[in-house]
Amino acid sequence: MSSPFKPQQEAERVLAAIVESSEDAIIAKSLDGTILAWNSSAERMYGYTAGEMIGRNIGVIIPPDRPTELQDIATRLSRGERVQHFETLRIAKDGRRVEVSLSVSPIKDASGAVVGASTVARDITVKNSRIRQLADSEERLRSIVEAAVDGIIVIDDRGVIEAVNPGAERLFGYAAAEVCGQNVNMLMPEPYHSEHDRYMRHYLETGEQRIIGIGREVTAMRKDGSTFPVHLSVGEMSLDGRRKFTGILHDLTARVAMEERLREQAALVRLGEMAAVIAHEVKNPLAAVRGAIQVIGKRLPVGSREATVVTDIIARIDTLNNLVRDLLLFARPPQPHPLPADVRAVLTTTIELLRADEAHAGVRVTMAGEAPPIMADVELLKIVFVNLLINSAQAMKGQGDITIDISADAHLCHIVMTDTGPGVPPEVRARLFTPFVTTKSRGTGLGLSTVRRLLEAHHGDIRVDSPDTGGARVRVALPLA
Amino acid sequence: MTKNSSPPRVLVVDDEALIRWSLAELFTDVGYDVTEASDGASALTQVSDGEAFDAIVLDYRLPDSNDLLLLEQIRILQPQAAVVMMTAFGTPEITAGALKLGAVRVVAKPFDVHDMVNLVAQAHGFKPH
Repeated sequence: MSSPFKPQQEAERVLAAIVESSEDAIIAKSLDGTILAWNSSAERMYGYTAGEMIGRNIGVIIPPDRPTELQDIATRLSRGERVQHFETLRIAKDGRRVEVSLSVSPIKDASGAVVGASTVARDITVKNSRIRQLADSEERLRSIVEAAVDGIIVIDDRGVIEAVNPGAERLFGYAAAEVCGQNVNMLMPEPYHSEHDRYMRHYLETGEQRIIGIGREVTAMRKDGSTFPVHLSVGEMSLDGRRKFTGILHDLTARVAMEERLREQAALVRLGEMAAVIAHEVKNPLAAVRGAIQVIGKRLPVGSREATVVTDIIARIDTLNNLVRDLLLFARPPQPHPLPADVRAVLTTTIELLRADEAHAGVRVTMAGEAPPIMADVELLKIVFVNLLINSAQAMKGQGDITIDISADAHLCHIVMTDTGPGVPPEVRARLFTPFVTTKSRGTGLGLSTVRRLLEAHHGDIRVDSPDTGGARVRVALPLA
Repeated sequence: MTKNSSPPRVLVVDDEALIRWSLAELFTDVGYDVTEASDGASALTQVSDGEAFDAIVLDYRLPDSNDLLLLEQIRILQPQAAVVMMTAFGTPEITAGALKLGAVRVVAKPFDVHDMVNLVAQAHGFKPH
């Protein structure tokens, strides 16, 4: 088969065809930047035809804010270097900025001297915009993960922590650096701590899902060793051919506390029903025994040993009756009928009641401040204050000072009672309002529990602490009228 | 009001025998003529058939009565009688209801029997012996 072209011509023609058909813009220029060749992709990319550009300086498409770029490239070329994948901007004829990746090679003459340069420019505008979209999307995901209140923990297939979010740092009290690279079982109490590796192996071997895709309530352990309930859901993913697991932990502390409170309230309702029955069934026979023993006592010789014993029996019956009364008051507190009331007047009455009892003769009570009228059932409020004052008086063993300070803000009246007693140790403080828990050798442990129930029925609040200055401080808040 | 010639009459209504006994003993001691009833039905018989009472001590809860209906009937049949109610577990509602129906006082069980006798006597203007 014969060809109409000489081999040299043939090679040039093929080369020209390649250049013309290239997706990339291919431009040849002399050392001073004069354009010698401009293929059709260059026409497409920059909007100038070859006719417009050949003979013109390449500077036409270089942004004015990059004046030295051409010179820099020329310098590198003159040293015989190639410039590879140099990412920059060019200006198209219509002013559009084109993101390009340039590969520039020197053109040498027969003697090997550099006489010009050939540039292959690839339009990377689309590619870059995709990269930016990806980065944006990743940033969005990252900010969701970072902002999540829930803890998010990524582990590998051996249970080693790879990443944790700030939510997890907050939940557990660890910094990310402290946990990354550690076995995730460090965040679990026993028996899960010891069993977790086995759980994971079991899953990897059998594929049996116990938690993945199901989620369940588990117990987690903070850095300080305290535990808390969480809902854990686990997702599985494959990254670079390795299995990873993402755990999302939702703190259930508040919910569990609320459930506990609801259970307590339900128990109180049952206790209230029981107390009402007991109260009746106990008070009736108490009344019978008390009445009969009083009649019998009246017939005994005055001053006799028997008459004294009868008096003692009656006192015991009254103690028993008070116990039933306290239980009833706690378990079934009367519904308050709140009316506007002067808290200072209620306190004054209460203080007088305390003073009437000789056992508290050594207790000095001072009161300062005032407040606008509060909304309260005065009779119930007296029970509250009597209980608090007697508690303080007993804590001070009948000797000391109680200071009462009354103040108010926009919605609440604050009554602060501070005594000079031994104060309330933190371990007692936690159980202060638990019914039937008492630190006294005799007592039902119902006083403060009842006080709190009565205050809650008033939409009020009570807190007890020990200030640095010593003693116990009781802070009561009640809504203003 | 008590007739000067005859002793005042009191009706003690309670299903608890010891309460009836204690009150009967003390009322008798201070000069009362005491009648006892252990349930609502016999109390009602006493107030409808018998002579007028000066005072009635009435338990809120009886085997056949657990509301204020009995008090209401007694007040209609013997409006002159001073009625003192006793209750082992009184709610503010019961107390208010009883006072509204004309009871002199609602006394919580257990109580001091001497105080009860004095209260009853005072309620109808009788000076105990």
